[in-house]
Amino acid sequence: MKASDTWSADELLTRARGGESSAFATLVRRYQRTVYSIALRMLSDRHRAEDLAQEVFLQLYRAIDSIDSETHLAFWLRKVAVNRAIDRMRQESRHDSEPLTDAVAVADESTEEDPLLHRRMAELVAQLPPAARAVVVLRYQEDLDPVDIASTLDMSINTVKSHLKRSLTLLRARVQGTTIVEDIR
Amino acid sequence: MSKDFEQQLREALRPVDPEEGFELRVMARIARERSRARTKVTRWVSVALAASVVFAAFLGAHQWQLRREQEGLEARKQLIEALRLTGEKLDIAYQAVNREAPEPADDGSGA
Repeated sequence: MKASDTWSADELLTRARGGESSAFATLVRRYQRTVYSIALRMLSDRHRAEDLAQEVFLQLYRAIDSIDSETHLAFWLRKVAVNRAIDRMRQESRHDSEPLTDAVAVADESTEEDPLLHRRMAELVAQLPPAARAVVVLRYQEDLDPVDIASTLDMSINTVKSHLKRSLTLLRARVQGTTIVEDIR
Repeated sequence: MSKDFEQQLREALRPVDPEEGFELRVMARIARERSRARTKVTRWVSVALAASVVFAAFLGAHQWQLRREQEGLEARKQLIEALRLTGEKLDIAYQAVNREAPEPADDGSGA
């Protein structure tokens, strides 16, 4: 275990701002899971998710002087990750026909009691339009409340709630539809 | 589905780690970007330096040309002044010569 692993995020930020690259590397290690997971759920492709997550940290390196606290850092990373992912999806115009292979692969790693259901749910989330997908990912992966999701995505709280409601209804219907089909088989 | 749907969704979307060594790859990418930025700065400094040398040479040549023209004008002015002075001296000398010259002698022809 490195000494920097025991430092608080605020201390790491101060040191990273001072040009200490080991402090910045520790910040990367601490937040890589959050950033990479958002990128992966949004893009459904491991390589593109890795590339996007690297870009987010590169942008953080350039903007480190403007980050003033741990809370700000977490908010900033989520916001940049989601917005970059949405931009990339729009540029590539792929969101209508995602291959879903990596979304499925991620769900396959589940050790929970119903891996098939989780796999199906991850697939269905990956089929949602970009904004709705971002809302669902921030709510159920990052465990943010609608107020935080609204400020992260620059949306009104009502829009967030509406996305959540419609997405849940859609996902529930599709999952149940799948279950029915599987039961029939 | 025994569990609450939202709980199932949370489990389906649980965070995952990137492949081993992610942090090292990020730091390597940052190092590459920094070195690329440094190269870009060095290139711009070299171009600016070369442009400055060319500009200084051009400015020097231009100044030299101006100085030569100025010297030419000055020499021309001095020559004109010298010619004017010479002309004046020659006038004075001519007048003196005319004044001191003896009256032509009377030959007594009575004409």
